[in-house]
Amino acid sequence: MNFRIPILKLRDTLIVSIQWELDDQTAIQFQEDLLNKLHETSARGVVIDLTSVDFIDSFIAKVLGDVISMSSLMGARVVITGIQPAVAITLIELGIRLEDVMTALDLENGLDKLQLELEA
Amino acid sequence: MEIQGGLRQKMNKQMAGYIQENNTEIITKWQELMKNEKNDRSFQVMPTDLMNQTSKEFADLMLSNLLESHQAYETRLNDFAEKVVRLGWSMTFVTKAIDHFSEVVFEGMEDAGLITQENFRGFFKEFNNWIIPIRDSTVAAYSKTWERTVSLQKIALQELSASLIPVFEKVSVMPLVGTIDTERARLIMENLLEGVVKHRAEVVLLDITGVPVVDTMVAHHIIQAADAVRLVGAKCMLVGIRPEIAQTIVTLGINLNEFTTTSTLQRGVEQALAWTNRKIVEVDEQ
Amino acid sequence: MSNQSSVEILTEWDIVAARQLGRNVAKELGFGTVDQARITTAISELARNIYLYAGQGRIEIQQLMENGIKGILIIAADQGPGIPDIRKVMEDGFSTSGGLGAGLPGVKRLMDEFKIETIPGEGTDIRATKWLR
Ligand SMILES: Nc1ncnc2c1ncn2[C@@H]1O[C@H](COP(=O)(O)OP(=O)(O)OP(=O)(O)O)[C@@H](O)[C@H]1O
Ligand SMILES: [Mg+2]
Repeated sequence: MNFRIPILKLRDTLIVSIQWELDDQTAIQFQEDLLNKLHETSARGVVIDLTSVDFIDSFIAKVLGDVISMSSLMGARVVITGIQPAVAITLIELGIRLEDVMTALDLENGLDKLQLELEA
Repeated sequence: MEIQGGLRQKMNKQMAGYIQENNTEIITKWQELMKNEKNDRSFQVMPTDLMNQTSKEFADLMLSNLLESHQAYETRLNDFAEKVVRLGWSMTFVTKAIDHFSEVVFEGMEDAGLITQENFRGFFKEFNNWIIPIRDSTVAAYSKTWERTVSLQKIALQELSASLIPVFEKVSVMPLVGTIDTERARLIMENLLEGVVKHRAEVVLLDITGVPVVDTMVAHHIIQAADAVRLVGAKCMLVGIRPEIAQTIVTLGINLNEFTTTSTLQRGVEQALAWTNRKIVEVDEQ
Repeated sequence: MSNQSSVEILTEWDIVAARQLGRNVAKELGFGTVDQARITTAISELARNIYLYAGQGRIEIQQLMENGIKGILIIAADQGPGIPDIRKVMEDGFSTSGGLGAGLPGVKRLMDEFKIETIPGEGTDIRATKWLR
């Protein structure tokens, strides 16, 4: 019954595009898979694209926040891209600010931002 | 009961007959009374032919309540009320018009000997039966038109005051005008975010030059909006901060430190261009 | 007028089922995308709380009609341990499970009306309404 979210590698960056509604198991599985992949590849950046995600509750927000902190412990920068207006509004109203997260409008912008960040 | 019903019908017929026969005379008298209304000058300023036409319509309406089926009267009343609203007649003026009209008819029928000492009570009751529903439905028609106007204005205000304008590639401005309440704040937030995604803006300038008061509630909404803009992947800047707004913000202890703020839109645009690695230069004419 | 449907919350998957039901009803009622996201998120929070803290319970979705205005009512009911201090759980950041503690105060902000009834040892009944403007 569980999907696994595919994680692609492009040079020293991992790219994840979330295409389905995230249930709790898939979210936790994803956290584990991403950390393992970071370890295997020693990638320095991660782009997580949420264009197709139409809502995020506090649980998924916590998993995402944790993934970002854990990745940074392992030396990788994370950019979240494509958060939809409706999702951004509900997150803010829930009181979840995702304060130190890098964001970008879409995957392409996200890759650019990450590149700049890694060069600096 | 039978007899009473028959009597009522007879009285109604007499009233209608009297109005039809003395139409011109009634209208003239009624217009005199209306012109003397001190508090409302609607009639004095109206062109004569328009006044005559409206008076005729008004008389027809009054009459139709005595003659026509309830439904036909209702439609006619609605049309009339809408017209009167458009003419700018106040509700008091219209109720006065109804009262004066029945006054003129009653006195006329008295003078003509149709209303006598004996049937006075009966007619008095019948006049009330005639006038009260007209008043009630006029008031209802008014408040309906009025409610619709208010809700349309509300929508117009909302649409007016929250659109995102792209000024350069990657840079957009949202001018905010007027008082911000919770409902408007929500709308502003939605338009802002949808605009950012649609225009692919990397920087948005929220211009609060036109916002009269920035209290903690407004500041809170602005901070939330800026946070949401960051989540979708853009940057938000607050521009148009007037001196008195700066004063209230600091006095209230509102913390806008995480924000980039500037006093004028122009400085904001320059900053936004700098963030997107561009600037405006003057070109020498050769 | 009211029209209802419900989902029993027994496993994690039922959280997904509950919010899908809510989203469909919200869409059908004519709520826009932002309100759909608000409603779905609120259901997800309440359903997960049932799963985590009460073990099992029920999410009920009702369509409302009052004075010509349509609305959606979410009822989250369980016979779990109840909430000892309601005021505490309505504070941002209060969690007994290491969560963000955003759930209940968040739901209150996402919806138009919000009511908790809870008796320690007997269970919790939470009702949240959103009106279609
Ligand atoms: N149905 C319930 N039965 C018993 N206790 C509950 C119930 N719902 C919530 N609680 C209690 O209220 C606290 C606050 O809930 P809330 O949803 O606000 O935060 P959380 O679930 O701890 O974290 P988050 O929802 O942000 O992941 C919970 O930690 C739990 O102790
Ligand atoms: Mg919770």
